[in-house]
Formats: sequence, C-alpha cells, structure tokens
Amino acid sequence: MTKYLVLLPEALVVAGAVVVLLLARFGPSRYRRWRRALPAVAALILLAALAVELRVGADVGSYFGGGLLVDRFGLFVKAAVLLAAAVGIAVADWGAEDSMSIGLAMPMLAVFGVMVVASGGDFLSVWAGLELAGAAGVVMLATRRPDSALRLLLLGAAASALMLIGLAYVYATAGSADLGAVHAALLGVAPTLPLAVPVLVLLGALIYRASLAPLQLGAGHGLAAPSPMSIGLVAGLGAAAAVVAAVKVSVAVGAVSVAFSPYVEIVAAVAMAGGGAGALAARSPRTRIAFLVAGQTGWVIAGLATQFRGGIGATIFLLGALVVAATAAPAAAGAAGISELAVSGLGTLRPARAAALTLAMLSLAGAPPMAGFFGEFTIGAALARTGHLELLAVGLLGSLLSLVAAIGTVRVLYLQNPPDEGRRGLVALPVWTRLSAFGAIALCVVIAGYGLFANPISSLADQGAAALGLR
Amino acid sequence: MTAAMLYAFAALTRPSPAPSTVPGANIFTSAFILSIGIWAPVLMAFVIGVLPNPRGRYDTLIKQIAFFTNLIVLFILFVAYNQFQNFLPTLQYEENRQWLPAIGAAYHLGVDGPGILMLMLSALVGIISVLASTGIRTRVRSYFALLLLAQSCVTGAIAAHDLFVLVLFWSAATVPLALLILGWGGPRRDAAAWRLVGYWGAGTVALVLAVAGIYVATGGTSFDMEVVLKAPLGARAEVIIGLALVIAAATRLPLFPLHGWVRDVYSDAPIGVVVVVASSASRLGAYVLLRVLVAGEPDGAKLLAPLIAGLAAITVVYAAIAALRSSDIRHAAANLALVPCGVTALGLAALTPLSIAGSVLSLFAGGMASALVVSVFATLSDRAQTRNAMVLTGLAARMPKLAWLTVLAGLGVLGVPLMASFTANEMTFFGAFRTQPVGAFAVAAGLALTAIAVAVLIQRVLFGPPNPDAPAVSDSSLSETWFLGLMAGALLWVGIVPGGPKIPGTDTPLFDPGVVNQMVANIPEIASPYSGTATP
Repeated sequence: MTKYLVLLPEALVVAGAVVVLLLARFGPSRYRRWRRALPAVAALILLAALAVELRVGADVGSYFGGGLLVDRFGLFVKAAVLLAAAVGIAVADWGAEDSMSIGLAMPMLAVFGVMVVASGGDFLSVWAGLELAGAAGVVMLATRRPDSALRLLLLGAAASALMLIGLAYVYATAGSADLGAVHAALLGVAPTLPLAVPVLVLLGALIYRASLAPLQLGAGHGLAAPSPMSIGLVAGLGAAAAVVAAVKVSVAVGAVSVAFSPYVEIVAAVAMAGGGAGALAARSPRTRIAFLVAGQTGWVIAGLATQFRGGIGATIFLLGALVVAATAAPAAAGAAGISELAVSGLGTLRPARAAALTLAMLSLAGAPPMAGFFGEFTIGAALARTGHLELLAVGLLGSLLSLVAAIGTVRVLYLQNPPDEGRRGLVALPVWTRLSAFGAIALCVVIAGYGLFANPISSLADQGAAALGLR
Repeated sequence: MTAAMLYAFAALTRPSPAPSTVPGANIFTSAFILSIGIWAPVLMAFVIGVLPNPRGRYDTLIKQIAFFTNLIVLFILFVAYNQFQNFLPTLQYEENRQWLPAIGAAYHLGVDGPGILMLMLSALVGIISVLASTGIRTRVRSYFALLLLAQSCVTGAIAAHDLFVLVLFWSAATVPLALLILGWGGPRRDAAAWRLVGYWGAGTVALVLAVAGIYVATGGTSFDMEVVLKAPLGARAEVIIGLALVIAAATRLPLFPLHGWVRDVYSDAPIGVVVVVASSASRLGAYVLLRVLVAGEPDGAKLLAPLIAGLAAITVVYAAIAALRSSDIRHAAANLALVPCGVTALGLAALTPLSIAGSVLSLFAGGMASALVVSVFATLSDRAQTRNAMVLTGLAARMPKLAWLTVLAGLGVLGVPLMASFTANEMTFFGAFRTQPVGAFAVAAGLALTAIAVAVLIQRVLFGPPNPDAPAVSDSSLSETWFLGLMAGALLWVGIVPGGPKIPGTDTPLFDPGVVNQMVANIPEIASPYSGTATP
C-alpha cells in the first residue's frame, strides 16, 4: 500500500475537483454560506498535494506496467503546476468568475492532466493527460465564451489528430508505445524522411498547442471576454501540458532530432519575436499577458532544439517559471485586465495585486531579476553551447520587445492615477480578500525567490533532464 | 598639478610595496561588504515600497530613509575604499558562491583598483541623487524605491566578477530608470524613456551575445571572469566579441552614433535621475569595455582600437558642434556631457598603461563632470523658467551661486587645472599620443571646439546683457546648492589632492588614501599584454 503513496498527490487533486463539482450539484442548502471558503480549501488541497509530492516524489519508481513513472522530471513538473494552480486560485478574483465550482474544479483537473503527462511512461498516458488538460480548458472557457471554447476545441482536435498520426507512425516504426522502448529502438536510426515527417507532425502539433493557444485568447472581447481563470488555465496549465509532452516525445525520438531541430527553431523564433511584437502592439493587459506567454513559450521551445541534457534541463527550469506566471498573472489582473483604463492606478488601490501582476509580467518578459530571466538565460547559454546564436539573437530581440510592453503596463499600474468610477465603466476593480492578498504576496515571493534559489531549483531541473535519459 | 600627474604616474609604474597606513583602517571588516552595498538599497526600497503613506503623510520620512540608506552605503563603501590594499593586483572583498551550477554561473563579486573607484562614484552619486530629488512631491514612495533599485543595479554591475551577474545587473538597471523617467520626467518623457529602453536594450542584446560568444569560445562551462577572460580565444573570435562589446558600450557610455537617447533623457528626466544616468550608470559602458575587452581580449582590443579611437574623436567633435548650434541650454548641456565620454573611450583605445589609468580616472572625473553640467543647466533652466538660450542672458548677477557652479561645470567638462578631469585628460592624452596619434589629435581638436562652445554658452547665459523681457529668475535653493556643490567639490577634491591629503610633515594619508593611489591597483596587469612586459 505504501508503494502507492506516491500517487497520493494525484488522488488528492482529483478528489478535490470531484468534491467541488459534487458540492455544487448536491451540496446542502447551507453550502452557499461557506462556499466563500472553497477557494482557500482548494488552494490548501493543492498545497497539501505539493507537500506530499515533495516528500514522496523523490523516490524513483514505475507503476501500472510502466504506464506511470515517478522520477525527478515528474517531481519538478508536478511541483511547478501544483504551486501555479494553488497561487492562481488564491489570487483570483472570484467575483469575476461565472462559476466557482467550475472555476475551481477545472484547474484542478488540468493540473491532474499535466501530472499524468509528466509521469506518463508511454504514448497513451501522455496523450490522455494532454487531452484532459485541454478538455478542462475548453469547459472553463465555455462557461462564458462558447465560441472561444469551440475554437479552442477545434484547434485542439486538429492538433490532437496530427499528434495521433505521428504517434501511430512512431509506434509502427519502433514497435512499442513505451517511451523508453521508443528511445532505445530509435537510438541509432538514421533520420530518414519517412520517419522524420510523422515526428515533425507530432512535435508540430504539440508545439502548436503550446504556443498558439494563448494567442487566440489575446483579442479583447470587452465584458464578454473569457474569465481570468480560464485564460490562466489555457495559457498556463494547458500550454505546460503540451510543452511537457513535447519534451518527453522529443527526448524519446531524439535520434531524429537532426530532422526536426530546424523546424523547432523556426517555430521558436516566430513565437519569441511574434510574442514580443504582439505584446508591444497590444494595449490591454490581458492581451499583453497572452502574447508575453507566447513569447516565453518560444524560449521553452527553443530549448527543445538543443537536444542535450543542459538544454532540456534549462527548458524544464524555465517551464517552472512560465507556468507559475502564466497561470497566475491573468488571475491577478482579474476582470480589470481587459483594458488599460480599468487597471490604471491599481498600484494605489490594490497594491498586493498590482505588485503580483507587475512581477508576473516582468518575469514573462524575461526582465531581471525575475524568475523568467534566469530561465531564459539558462536556455540562452544552452543555445550558445549548441551553436544556435542566431536563435539566441531573435530571442533577445523578442525579450526586448516584451520588456517594453511590460514596462508600459507597469507604468499604467503605478504611474497613472485611478480613473473616476464613472469612467471605469462596468469593469469593477478586483475584490480584496485576505486570500487574494495572501495569494498575491505568495506569487511575488515565488517569482522573486525563483532566481534567488536558482541553484537548488535548476539542479532539480537538471536531474529531471537526466531522468529522461539525456546526458 | 604636474606634480600630481607625476605622482600618479609613479604610482602606476611602481606599485607601492606595502599598504599605505591610513588611520582608522581595518576598524570595520565584513565578508559581505560588496553585498551590503548592493542589497541594502534593495531592502530599503522594499521597505519604502510597503510603507503605508496615506495622502503623502510620510513623504519626508521616505526621503530620509532614502538619504540615510545612501549615507550608510557611502560610509561602508568609503571604508572599503579606505582599506583597499592598492599594492595587491588581485581582487579584493571577494564573494563567490554557486548560483546556477548547471551553466557555470556564480554569484562572484570583487573589485580591483578601477572597481573601487567606480564603487566610490556610485556611492557618492547615490547620496547626490537623493539630494537632487528633494523636490519630488508626487508618488514619493515609488520614486525613491525605484531610485534605490537603480543605484543598487549600478553598484551590482560594478562589483560583478561573473559575466552572468554582470548581465543581470546591467540589464536590470534599465527598468527602474525608464519608469522614473516615465513617471516624473518633463514634457517629452515618453520619448526619453522609450529611447533609453531602446538603446540600452539594444546594448544589452549586444552584451549578451558577446557574453554568449565568450562562454562558447571558452568551452561553455563557466561565466567567471577569472576563468573566461584568461582563456585565449583567437583573434577572429575576439574581434567579433569585441565588436559586440563596443556596441554595448557605445549605447551606454554613449558614443556617436549610438547616442540617440542622450538629448531627450538629459533634457527631460528628473534631475535626480539625470545625475545617476550621466555619472555612474552610463560609465558602466566604458567600465565593461575595460573589464572585458581590454582586460580579457587583447587581440580584439588591439584590432578594434582604431575604431574606438575614431568613435571617441567623432563623439567629441560632434558634441562640441552640436552644443555650439543648440539654442536650448539643456540640449547644449546634454551634448557637452558627451565630451568626457569621448576622452574615456580614447584612453581605452590607446592601450597604454598611462592612457588606461587616465581612462579609469576619467570614469570618475568625466562622470562627475557630465552629471554636473547636465544638472546645473537643468537647475538653471528651472530657476529661470525657460530653456531658451536666446532669452536667458546675463544671469550671473541674479543667481550668483548657480553662476559659480555653471562655470565650474564648464571647466570640469573641459578639464582645466584644479579639476579632476584635468588629471584624467592629461594622463589619457600623454598615454594616447604614442599609440593613437590621429585619434588623440582629433579628440584634442574636439576639446578645443568644446572650449569655444562652453565659452559662448557661459558668456551668453551668464555674462551677456540682461534681458528685461525674460521671466523672473531666482538662485538655487539650499538642497540644489548642496547636491551641485557636492559634485563640484568632488571634482575639485580629486583635482587638487589626487594623492589624498597627508598628515603634515609625513607621508601618512589623513583619511583619504588618494584616488590615483587606489585606482592603479591591477592596471599594470590589465595593460601588460599591450606593453609587452608582463608584470611579475
């Protein structure tokens, strides 16, 4: 029984999500009175799962016939998404969400999906986890924007179809769906076109999910915009699931890396430069966040092009920073994030929330000394070591554009006076609660502390890369 | 003055065999003296940031916190300067801890002679910038928190001895400075801030690419300057890396043609920010050129020396002509502030021990002179309620204190005797005429043009016939006199006693061991690849 203690974090997360959903449907009449405490309870469940994961996740093992692996890679990714979801739920403005039960349960299910992807030992579990995270995003979006949800569903389905084609071909070539077996089977195989094409399709689909899904959320829709938590879920947890899957698959088919590396570089360059340019062109803080996430996702994808332990370790290291900032930043902005006017003077009116939003955006832009800077620098070092200096130059340019955009929003938050209530329109300021203040402070601490404690965190990420079989 | 130069040259060529005994030395020691200098302002910025300040009730307290934080940092770094052992060519106050072992980055701090001089500049500028900011009335909490963060970044970049730490602090300085300009700048603050971010950001991109090049060329295992700058890279790699470093330095120092941010920033940033940018923050450009290119890539430095000398000459000549043609006194001052940058760059291009020493002294003297000239003209235009040189005439009688300070600022830029910039300029030129005669001649010609520009400007603004139609003027306030006086005083102090005051009748330094004594530590080693004689 103690052997399965390692699955307790997953069990806690799923149980929490199910209980929240059931309470909403069958809860007692007095449920409404204490439902205000539900976000705190959900955050505590996630933190408890994080504590258990850190305690027992250090052990290495294999479960369900190799379907689930417990290793340092999984430990790092699971810890990052649990922390991101806990902070995101804590800092969220629940007045801006349509349904608290959906708003709490879907991020938890998405976290579970990422955990499954991170622990997946074969194609099936990786695919299942990815779909679960994607489906949670679709449900969350659909509560307010069925059209956006439908679009995401179609994009996800297209990506999924491409992915399945690639998986099927790799399975047929390697004779196994087990990631370790695929790695061993392809270890000496030349990157022939028949093999490279489906691998490209597979990785392309994953990267598409990771880098382009946030972009479609960028467009502002006024008051009918998707809720902040749904954006955090899709841009943070959904993208994390796709990136984690891409890391695992690219390592498994590493032998054909020569074939897909240029393609990955192009996607990364477009995401990095396009994300920065998009962020600069946008005015709404929420749209800027979406583009900043796309830009930093480009850095993560660039790390995949390096295909050595240091590079993948750097990718994992940045992924941790990205998922926390991307999940929590939209939640910190709340409904006010849809326009610059609505967040004007937020530094005066909601100082903790404004500080959290500032640090998260600067981190996504790669500004020092935030978490994102450390991650981007480590990837930059890996790119330099593998001779991808042109990609590094494009990334730096993208980061510069992102930085300008982030400074623009910080200026609005702190250097502009709050508008009159009449001019603010129908967008209310995020509600202040003890939990949201605590969440905002926690987000600041995580983003600032990530760089301060970069030594143990990057060492763990490096061990994660080693656990994937990279030297 | 000649004696002072000979003294400096003697100290340069023959490092003192024993530490100079300074009364009070070694009374205060700490293994984290540089970290305290860097992180104490950050901590106090955080304290200021979270301090409740309803309706500006604690504005004065916040200003006091910023002032005393800088005073304490100045005291600590002065102690470090005082106890600095100039006979040692090694790093001092060294701190070295692993930070990102996966890529070989470490939290490695330490200073040598040029570093300790830059630290003193940064600390002095910290307190001057707070004094220059006492007039800030809006969003006081944010202003001083950002100012402290900016100062901390500059200090960190100076103390960095790991390229990762250098990039971190170098690039981090841009954000608080841009926000300070955006929030408290003049009418063209948007243009000023975005130009600063654009140029400095481009410089950061160039610096990171140079650092990446060095990292790769040395095996990709460490960013430690002790390791990577001692490894031979080959002439081709050094030139490519050197070019990137020159671009990075030219955006920050700045040098023509990458000086596009200067006019707007120096004209429209708040004076406290101008002081930081014009003195210590911009000098980081030359400092990085010295630390990385001159000290670490000798082949690249030799091949790029004519380019740097050319840029220096064009910068000085351009600055003088632009100042002459400018009808806005703040624009004229911004252009004059470019002149010391050219002299500093010339010293680095000449690659002789004396010129490098002159360049190092010019970091301090030129930084102070640039900050003084920009801020004195900013104060003058504020007090005279106009920036138009055609309207501002004959002010000397009506603002005597500012008139004196304006004259001192002009003389400081030119480098006349009794000014620290005189010693720096002479050392630079004496060292440069041997190896870069054309560049040195062109810079000297540019200085002559600058003299004309300064004379015309001062004659018109201060000593011309009073304009009865000009707005009413008033002399500088107490705080303005203090911060401008401190800068002028620093220029005069180093100019008059570059070797430090002595106890009468002895060779024992009184309390200041002397800037030229302290700064020369490690310069012979930096210059050794160019003189052909390695020091033992």
